[in-house]
Amino acid sequence: MRAIDLAYVLFLGALLGLGSAYAALGGRFPFESIQAGAWSAWPKTGSQLIDPYARGILARGVHLPLGVGEGLALAATSDDEGRALDGSCRYALTGTVPPTRGWTLNVVAPGWPAQAGDRAGFADAEIVRDESGRMVLTLSAAVAGGNWLPLPAQGRFSLVLRLYDTPISSTARELVREMVPAIKRLGCAGT
Amino acid sequence: MTMSQVIPAFRQSHIARFAWLTLAGLALAAFIHIIVVLAVPGLAEKDAVSLFAEHGEQGKAERVNLAAVADSDPLTAVAACAYDLGAGPFRVSARTGDSLLSLSLHRRGGGVAYAITDRAAVRGLIEFVILTPRQLEDRLARDDEGESVRELRVVSPGETGLIVARALIRRPSDRAEAEALVAGVACGLAD
Repeated sequence: MRAIDLAYVLFLGALLGLGSAYAALGGRFPFESIQAGAWSAWPKTGSQLIDPYARGILARGVHLPLGVGEGLALAATSDDEGRALDGSCRYALTGTVPPTRGWTLNVVAPGWPAQAGDRAGFADAEIVRDESGRMVLTLSAAVAGGNWLPLPAQGRFSLVLRLYDTPISSTARELVREMVPAIKRLGCAGT
Repeated sequence: MTMSQVIPAFRQSHIARFAWLTLAGLALAAFIHIIVVLAVPGLAEKDAVSLFAEHGEQGKAERVNLAAVADSDPLTAVAACAYDLGAGPFRVSARTGDSLLSLSLHRRGGGVAYAITDRAAVRGLIEFVILTPRQLEDRLARDDEGESVRELRVVSPGETGLIVARALIRRPSDRAEAEALVAGVACGLAD
């Protein structure tokens, strides 16, 4: 009877302990994200103040995150109204980018870009702006004019906006909705 | 005692015992969870530092294949240089160029310990020495009193780590320049 009790405790402990640790280190960084509009960032992952879960996640794969003082990566998986980003829709990115010496915007999706060397992102110098300096980016699977960034024809995708050598990275609490690009859904195929 | 009195008591004792054992199992699970999460960075064998451990053996940073790195920016050129402070302090020096250049120090098991950009360059050169706390003490003892120390000293959180040089590719035509810039970063034992 005692042996069965011990086996039950050990089994439960090992199963739940290992299982929960595996699950916690398999997904996205669980703590300390900052939000601005549809964008999220984890500035502490680039410093020695990183939490143990984020560190474990980085340790399990090949990651070279941006350090504090080097830059800040902002990720978006939904539009401004909270709907998941989907390749079958068209999107407009408008507004401003936080103060930075240089930035890039990339579309991230499994198997994207379809061919190595295809465009999956823009750097700031490539963007064409209107007379007032405003920027408008169009994201769609179908070819569009202006600052067009191709999307996979279907399926979820995310956007990563990386700010290089930005004064924001060390004091990321100052990031607000008005400073980041707005992501507006213009329409979807079949609607 | 009649049968009707014995059965509830028998049941109660079993339920109470089952509850206690479950509680013990959960406590063990929490303990295992914490141990595993904290142990993962130290046991990591597939992290960036392990993968690029051979980079930079020739005294120059070596280009990193970005396809092997999760969440990497395709609009950057990246080179890396592994260090082992067991042999002594390690010096990194980089010439700045037209592309935005940054250097970061990545810990074994994931995470960034230090980062610097070309904004901190003096006369077009970024240079720093990585050391262990003990090597720093030795160096401080050797410094001449009253004379200002010119070299930048960075204490590494571990004996081994990775120096990563990143240059931003703002236009497709900048790619060759950015790649040459990161591959030109010199790294090797300091005097």
